[in-house]
This record gives sequence, structure tokens and C-alpha cells, in this order.
Amino acid sequence: MTSHDWFDEHRMEYAMHLLDARDTATFEDHLASCAACRDEVAAIERDLAWLPMGAEPAAPRPDFRRRAVDEVLRHERARRGPRWMPMAAAASLLLALGSWWAGTRRADAELATARARLEALEDTLSVIRGAGRVLQASVEMNGAQGGLLIFADERTHRWNVVVHGLPPAPPTGRYQFWFICAEGMVRGAEVRMPGEKPANFTTDMPTVPCTVQGAALSVEPMDATTGPPKGDMIAHLML
Amino acid sequence: MTDPQGRAVDRRGLVPTSREASLLRRLVARDEQALVELVDLASPWMLGVAEAMLRDRDEAEEVVMEAFRTAWRNVSDAQADARGLMPYLLRVVRHRAIDRLRARRRRQLKLVRVAAEEAGRSVVPAVEPDEAGQPGWHVHRKVHDALERLPAEQAAAVRLAYFEGLTQSEVAETLDIPLGTVKTRLRLAFVRLRGELSGLKDWVL
Repeated sequence: MTSHDWFDEHRMEYAMHLLDARDTATFEDHLASCAACRDEVAAIERDLAWLPMGAEPAAPRPDFRRRAVDEVLRHERARRGPRWMPMAAAASLLLALGSWWAGTRRADAELATARARLEALEDTLSVIRGAGRVLQASVEMNGAQGGLLIFADERTHRWNVVVHGLPPAPPTGRYQFWFICAEGMVRGAEVRMPGEKPANFTTDMPTVPCTVQGAALSVEPMDATTGPPKGDMIAHLML
Repeated sequence: MTDPQGRAVDRRGLVPTSREASLLRRLVARDEQALVELVDLASPWMLGVAEAMLRDRDEAEEVVMEAFRTAWRNVSDAQADARGLMPYLLRVVRHRAIDRLRARRRRQLKLVRVAAEEAGRSVVPAVEPDEAGQPGWHVHRKVHDALERLPAEQAAAVRLAYFEGLTQSEVAETLDIPLGTVKTRLRLAFVRLRGELSGLKDWVL
């Protein structure tokens, strides 16, 4: 057995994350200098990328979506919070170089984010400008007058949806967007109303086969995350 | 499937690809609505992977939240990953779950549970037909079928090692077979699965 035979034999186990920590470290050291193993591991990972989908899905708890989103955004805010650097440490050349490097990286990251924002804005605008039809419906919620506005882009089969004038969802419920289909109601995106600002999102047509005839907005109970509507319909419009 | 005007749209063509690209672009742009959509669509599958390994709902949720944080923070990595966003998330979940199993030294307790349940379990759980409308179900169905076609002894090794996160030595102990036999069965199984699943390239959403 040559020294490389061990790596040949263990490529699959490495790619499937089955090696123990010591063998994993050995393999990773080897990968740094072996293009053939790198390519083969990448090919195995690509071919078996969907294997985890063999696990049975687990229905999330009713409040999981809200907790998960809040948790991600809370960490994001904490990570982007105010940074300060001790004056003494700032005097250190090493730290200064480190800061310069980190600043460069941060600037690059912010530039990439700004570019992505621009692309997303352009994408949203392209849907609005390409819309062959604009649909709107009035919405009343707890005395507040709002609206549901849909720009339907026939070229890309996407909609830009604007929900405005509504108060935040009650603590026991959430706003839910629906597609009205000939086959029944098909769940779309949850709509988060961030205070006074309108909610705006671009959506594709449902992934399940159906004939879309319109759209609706409801207030769903927190635990109604699957199946047909269970809450109060507050707006609907037909194509 | 049809567009807003009722015209047919190829659901394996433009729309899924466009939706993945659109979702990724919006995630990169820090669109919180896109994050909500991602959590909605991916959570059942991510929780399924984590729970099968950790057997603890609270810990599974922690791992899935970690994965969402990672994806949100490093979404450009997911964008660059040729395998796509969903495989990226599933891989992060699985690796984090394995790390937890190893770090928290819960293996002994887990082995006792697994051994106790081993006798009465089928190799691959049955598919519930009423869930066929769930996004991603067609991919689950194909993977499930590929696992069912494996010889029973290979499927058992894959379930314990890959889906439940046991080390190969623990698989050998659980199934009462030599370690070399475990390695051989896993290798044969993964080669066969690779052949069957490599054609799955459609985005699940």
C-alpha cells in the first residue's frame, strides 16, 4: 500500500463526515496539496448533496419561524453593533495592521452587500416596470385602512406584492399571503409588517401544480403553519 | 403549474431556478422577508436531519438556528456553492449536529436508546402520502426510494452512521459486526447512492 492509498480509501468517509477528528485533520492536511483528492471529494459531495433529504421532515413548533428569524436578526444586530478599540492597543502596529486588514475586509463586504442590494432593487423594479397588470384591494384591520397591491409581471411569472397601512400582527397571529387557485388556497409568504412601513416582497408562483386565479391576505393563528386557511380573511382580489 | 394568467409553466425549468436565484439575491441584500421564506421552506427538512441525529427537539432547534445564522452571515458562500442553497444548509446542520454529538459525549445514552429501538424499526421510515404537497417532497421521495433499494444490511449501516451520526465503531458495536464490515457496507452503499442520486439537480423550493 502506498502512502496515497489510505487517502484513496478514505475519500468517501471524509466527504460523508464519518472520519474521527484525528483522521479528519490528517485528511485535510493532505487535501491542501492534492488536487486529485480535492476534486474527487468535491465530486462526491456534489453527487450526494441531496442525501440528507432522506431524513423524514419534522414539523416546526408553531412559534419556531418567529423565534428563528428573531434570533438570526438579533445576532446580526449584535455583530454589527458599535465597535471600539482601546487606545493602548490601537498604538500597537500589529493591531493597526489587523484593523486595516479587517477594515478593508469590512469595506469589501459592505460593498458586496450594497451591490447585492442594488441588484435586488433592480430586480424588484424590473418586476414592477414589467408588470402587465396591477391589482389592488382595500384592507381594514382594527380600524386601520390599508391596501394590498400586486404588480404581476407576465414575462417572468413573478409578482411584486405591497401590503401597506396595516398595524403589526397581533401577538397571537400573523399575516399570511395566499394564492387563490382553482384547486384551492395555496400558502404563500408570511408578511411581516415592520411598524409603519409597507411590506414589500417579490414572489414566484406556487411550486405545487395549480391554476392561479387570485390572491388573498389573512390573519392566521400562530400554530396554523400548514394546510388551508384557519384565520380571518382580510383581503382578496381576483385576476 | 400556471402563471397568473393561467398559462402553463415548466415547474422544473424557469420558475424554480429563477426562484432560487431570486431568493439568494434577496438574502445577500439582507431582505428579511426572504429570510422568513427560507425559514418557512427549509425548516422541516433541517429539523428532520437534526432531530434524527440528536433525538432532542430543543437541541435540534438550536442547531437549525445556528445554521440559519451561518447562512445569513455567509450567504455569499451559499451563493457560491455549486450544490445550491438547500444542500448547503443541510450540510451545515448535519456537521453541527455531529459536532454536538461528539462534544457533549452523549453517545452512550444514545447507543442505549438506539439499541433498544433497533429491533422494532424499519430500515427506512414510511412515506406519508398526504405530505406530498410539501415543497421538497419529490426530492425526499427519490432519496427515500434509493435508500430502500439498498440491501438491508447496507441501509442499516447508512442509517446509523449517516442519518443518526454514530461513529463507525459505534455502528459495528450496535450491529454486532466487525469494523471492517461496517466500512465495506458503507462504501458499497455510498457508491450505489452516488450513482442513483447524482442526477438530482433541481432546486427543491
